[in-house]
Amino acid sequence: MTRWAMVADLRRCVGCQTCTASCKQANATPPDVQWRRVLDMEVGEYPAVKRVFVPVGCMHCDDPPCMHVCPSTATKKRPDGIVTIDYDLCIGCSYCAVACPYQARYKTDRASFAYGKATPAEEQGYDPKRLAVATKCTFCVDRIDAGLAKGLTPGLDPEATPACVNACITQTLSFGDVEDPHSNVSQLLAENQTFRMHEELGTGPGFYYIWDKKDGETAT
Amino acid sequence: MNAPEPKAAPLATSGKRATYCYQCVAGPDLLTVKVVDGVATEVEPNFAACNVHPGGGKVCVRAYGLVQKTYNPNRVLTPMRRTNPKKGRNEDPGFVPISWDEALDTIAAKLRSVREAGLLDASGYPKVAANFGGGGTPQSYMGTFPAFLAAWGPVDMGFGSGQGVKCTHSEHLYGEFWHRAFTVCPDTPMCNYVISCGANSEASGGVVGVWRHANARERGMKRVQVEPHLSITGACSAEWVPIKPKTDPAFLYALIHVLLHEAKRERLDLEFLKQHSNSPYLVGANGFYLRDAATKKPLLWDLKRNAAVAHDTPGCDPALEGSFTCEAVEIGADAEVLAQGRLEGSPSFAKLVAHVQPYSPEWAAGICDVPAAAMRRIANEYLDHAQVGATIEIEGKTLPYRPVSVSLGKTVNNGWGGFECVWARTLLAVLVGGLEVPGGTLGTTVRLNRPLAERLESVTPGPDGFMHYPMNPTDREHWSARPNIRNAYRTMVPLAANGPWSQALGPTHFSWMFQKETPKGLPTVTLPEVWFVYRTNPAISFWDTKGVSDTMARFPFVVAMAYTRDETNHMADILLPDAVDLESLQLIRIGGSKYIEQFWEHEGYALRQPVVAAQGEARDFTDIATELARRCGLLEAYNASINRGSAGVPLKGESWDFSLDPARAHGRDEIWDAVCKAASADLTGGKEIHDLAWWKEHGLATKPFAHADWYLYPTMVAQGLRFELPYQERLYRIGKELGNRLHENDMQWWNEQLAEYQTLPKWKDFPGLWEKSLIKMGGKTQDFPFWLLTSRSMQYSWGNNVGIQMIHEVADNISGHRGVIINAGTADKLGINEGDQVEIATPQHNVAARAVVRQGIRPDTLLLIGQFSHWVTPYAKDFGVPSMNSLVPMSMELTDATGSGADVVRVSLRRTGGGK
Amino acid sequence: MNDNFGPKPWHQTNWDFRAAFNFIFGGAGAGLLVAAAISGGTGNALRIEILLGLALIGAGLVSVWFEIGRPLRAMNVGFNPFTSWMTRESYVAGLVFVLGLAAAWFDSQPLALAAALGALAFAYCQGRILQGAKGIPAWRVPALIWLIFTTALAEGAGLFVALAALLDAPARGVLAYISLALIARALAWSIYRGSVAKGTVRAALVRLERAGKILVQFGTIAPLALVLVAWLAPEVARIALLLAGLAVIATGWQFKFVLITRAAYNQGFALPHLPVRGTR
Repeated sequence: MTRWAMVADLRRCVGCQTCTASCKQANATPPDVQWRRVLDMEVGEYPAVKRVFVPVGCMHCDDPPCMHVCPSTATKKRPDGIVTIDYDLCIGCSYCAVACPYQARYKTDRASFAYGKATPAEEQGYDPKRLAVATKCTFCVDRIDAGLAKGLTPGLDPEATPACVNACITQTLSFGDVEDPHSNVSQLLAENQTFRMHEELGTGPGFYYIWDKKDGETAT
Repeated sequence: MNAPEPKAAPLATSGKRATYCYQCVAGPDLLTVKVVDGVATEVEPNFAACNVHPGGGKVCVRAYGLVQKTYNPNRVLTPMRRTNPKKGRNEDPGFVPISWDEALDTIAAKLRSVREAGLLDASGYPKVAANFGGGGTPQSYMGTFPAFLAAWGPVDMGFGSGQGVKCTHSEHLYGEFWHRAFTVCPDTPMCNYVISCGANSEASGGVVGVWRHANARERGMKRVQVEPHLSITGACSAEWVPIKPKTDPAFLYALIHVLLHEAKRERLDLEFLKQHSNSPYLVGANGFYLRDAATKKPLLWDLKRNAAVAHDTPGCDPALEGSFTCEAVEIGADAEVLAQGRLEGSPSFAKLVAHVQPYSPEWAAGICDVPAAAMRRIANEYLDHAQVGATIEIEGKTLPYRPVSVSLGKTVNNGWGGFECVWARTLLAVLVGGLEVPGGTLGTTVRLNRPLAERLESVTPGPDGFMHYPMNPTDREHWSARPNIRNAYRTMVPLAANGPWSQALGPTHFSWMFQKETPKGLPTVTLPEVWFVYRTNPAISFWDTKGVSDTMARFPFVVAMAYTRDETNHMADILLPDAVDLESLQLIRIGGSKYIEQFWEHEGYALRQPVVAAQGEARDFTDIATELARRCGLLEAYNASINRGSAGVPLKGESWDFSLDPARAHGRDEIWDAVCKAASADLTGGKEIHDLAWWKEHGLATKPFAHADWYLYPTMVAQGLRFELPYQERLYRIGKELGNRLHENDMQWWNEQLAEYQTLPKWKDFPGLWEKSLIKMGGKTQDFPFWLLTSRSMQYSWGNNVGIQMIHEVADNISGHRGVIINAGTADKLGINEGDQVEIATPQHNVAARAVVRQGIRPDTLLLIGQFSHWVTPYAKDFGVPSMNSLVPMSMELTDATGSGADVVRVSLRRTGGGK
Repeated sequence: MNDNFGPKPWHQTNWDFRAAFNFIFGGAGAGLLVAAAISGGTGNALRIEILLGLALIGAGLVSVWFEIGRPLRAMNVGFNPFTSWMTRESYVAGLVFVLGLAAAWFDSQPLALAAALGALAFAYCQGRILQGAKGIPAWRVPALIWLIFTTALAEGAGLFVALAALLDAPARGVLAYISLALIARALAWSIYRGSVAKGTVRAALVRLERAGKILVQFGTIAPLALVLVAWLAPEVARIALLLAGLAVIATGWQFKFVLITRAAYNQGFALPHLPVRGTR
């Protein structure tokens, strides 16, 4: 079996938002819709304060609350772990949005563009099907499927890899099959200590955060 | 020649096309742009470049804004003429569309009339001035316009739009002087310990810097960020030391004190100090070297011979400490013999040891607000990590390996205190032998020495066993009493040299400041008769923005290449829409060793090609330049300049000649086809000739650049040269001479600056200088208790992209883009909540901002990211975010000896209203 | 920083007053059906109560219909009975309408009781809908199911006695029921309050606390006292019950309004470990 997952190495992320920008462009999302974004978090109080940049988005959960609550079955989970939304089925009730503990879902009721009227580039990417329905990160599922059809490996071959991973300038984001013990992401998980966001909720996110090496060996 | 596999489709309505983004000095980034039905839709890394680009071929966030930049409906898309003769912030320019012919004819007529009357005005200043922003990066977009300027003759390019005061100015000048280091960088791929005083590499180091530092972090490199606020780089560091603003010299001096007075002497790299620095040079009673009376060579004391010998005597073991008497001569400024005969002298190292004796961590703690124990620990960690004595093999050469470095950020590195910081930083490298060796502190580009593209080749022997440096002369015979441009860099700043970059590295605010009153001794500073502006907005990006705007409103004829309307082209007479990044054509050099972290293992060329058709009537800058040359009657000189290499590569080489016919005008593609052929010939020694079509398909081509060539040390050793540290005899002499020249001309207004020329720089109360300036402005320090600083925004800086919605949106995810960052405790005391309206004020100006309450900033510090406060630029004018530039004055007393100032100002803060 | 995107908890923007009205009207309507059925009433009074209950449920559904992005696809709401309580609510609503209308048409007590059973299921579904929203800590606690359920019963009983007072119809039969419903609601609030405290942002707790205080003081103690007055002093029973009924409804509605539109903070993002940058 295949289980696609994202790994974000928090040691490397600098909050540059290149992933955010590339996602917006690759997926033609309207203003203020950020399927991938990077949080700027502070922990502690001056002067003992740390600042951390945290990429977030749809976690493509093993047990997605959004899918369970969806009354229209628009939200589904594929066997490979990718949680999808069928824009033709979705009624735009936003139940999934309040069910998602990761604030990953968006609904845009009206067409909106960067400068009011659509620019030629926005016209190219405009899809009326996405209006007034739930949208979110798809792990760039079209690229994955098209890439697989060509015999490419998602996470390694750029053409088959999510845009945010391709764009990431720090190699914070990695994508691959966690069921394959030899995959890039499996190796990262084997070598490093990780956590998943709000793990206590039992959603089983397909998005892992690296925070240290597993053996704790770092140069001093 | 390494050419990547073709990735870009031939020009068609759909496909991916290779190009570059060089909007900031930390570029270029190599990218592809997806085109669908003739419309650019998506930027991606050029994956074909991942093996030659040291940042994995990735592309910075700003480049992703290029698609929206192309289709921004606020673009100026036809030439425009001003109809309102009155200029000013409150005047509507009344721009009306005109044809290209009318625009170019108007400009050419003006230029011809200027030319007929003489290129210089009554003060001797060029009548034509030009401003380009972004540390030289606009040159990667202006096609052959440099050839037009070269054909024209003298042009004043010294009106500041940020250069000098927004750059790491002290590093540019002193760094290049000491180790050909216009920009300085840790050898990040091999460094293990970095002390970063305000360097914001994660925000300004570009893709390569960010990529390399991420690798280094994962590898275990420890970086200590010393900075008043927790910047992006501080966030990504192992430790944050919240230092009081502008006290970094004290911090660095304390580290030096620990190394020299607390660590065992053998832990320093004594061999490096003896053989590769001026540490053993004997210094006489007057502070100048003791020299051999006959050869005038500096002397050192050879412990083997127990005698004074010339510095270049082979096989000697020079003393670093002690006091020695020998036959010598001591020569001061203007060749004055100060003493001769049997003179007593000490090695400069001994002078240094005595000099830093008072600067203990306990002393510094009271100044920096950093615990002494922390400074002592950091100094010892630095020493521990230095691995003095270790070597490493690079490409068959055995080199010292010193994986420690100190990097400096803007504001630490310009204005008063900048010299002291750069000296201390470079000295910290010298003490452990970590200058210009693997793992250590590297210079990465030259801009004042030639050749610009070949750093190592710029090293030639100079006086006293050091490198040559092209100082502006200070001797009586050659000193330039009449400046060639308005900022007077040749007259006032010897270190600024006199190359193509020097104009931008003088005191560039003088060009604005002296419009009101020229100080005694300089020819009256005049307005330029014609001013070209491209990719810069000094009305926003310089200091005293109101004053700058008022001055430029008096400029009689302004030609602005206009992307959108903005605060500077608000004063223009003619707006010209140049084809923007994805619409125009240019070939540039890439790789080798360039700005900051851009040292590659490849070098070559990359093409920027029209990915889509130009919008509206926008025209490629090369065609604009050619037409201006033709209409001004300068075609022959213009073509000759291109043939000589002003488009990036000489068109004639050893075995090839693609020179343009000087007599006729050539189209854009014809010109760049010749450049492309010459570049490919240059890369392959003439073996391969590729035309424009080939470059459009491939995007780039490179050849290897030796890793060992990142380091200057082997070149210095090969030429028997020493690094000119720690002692600054040459600078001291030059300062004295400059003082003599100025005083001979009754110019007393530079005396404070002259005091900066020291053999061993002393700590001064640097924060106190800003407090004095505040008092001069009419304020009391207790009423203006906050230090207002700025910090770079990775999403905006240099990007000319404030009008791009997508950039604004994604930048907003990073704290501080919406207002002024205030310490949470301070905010609490002042009753300020997140989002509240506050007023930030100096005694002269005030601005309104929204409060952004954070923990990661000192209680006495405020931070305004980036430079906003736009009042014309579409979209950006609605941000409601102020800029510190509106508050910072231009002043002589805050100008250092290199002609730069720092982005610091004392302000008050008060709540004026609730948030939304 | 972009306030819309955290990282500290911020208020959900997906469901506004229109969604709140579904819980406000639907709960009260369902509760009224239950109260009407157990009151044993018949004839026009029963008809009015049933039709009003159905109208309230309908109004709630119409209100939410105005909120959904694709109202013309509203029927798709029924596609996921296997896991979605929203689908189940829609099914149960349909059943309640059929049974309720039949009861009204036939003036049938058994059908009214059947409709009331459906209404109980409907109120339960509403509780489960909110509890299924894992993204909102103030909603996802199981204790909320019973608070939503009991407030529906209480509001329905309140509406019943208020209607009875208005129409001067006998209500003494349901006074014990309303008292029990109010006590159950207060108890449910107390349990909910204990379980929501952990994991919910302070701003939400402050708002819930305020709404809960109103629920207890004006929605429980005051109406219970008025019911007691009505029981003991028949001459003022009518006004006392009217006031009691209105207090029960108003406080329930305000609580649900606050719960949906004011206290529905998400939990933001949290890091159980901080990244190691270079060295610890």
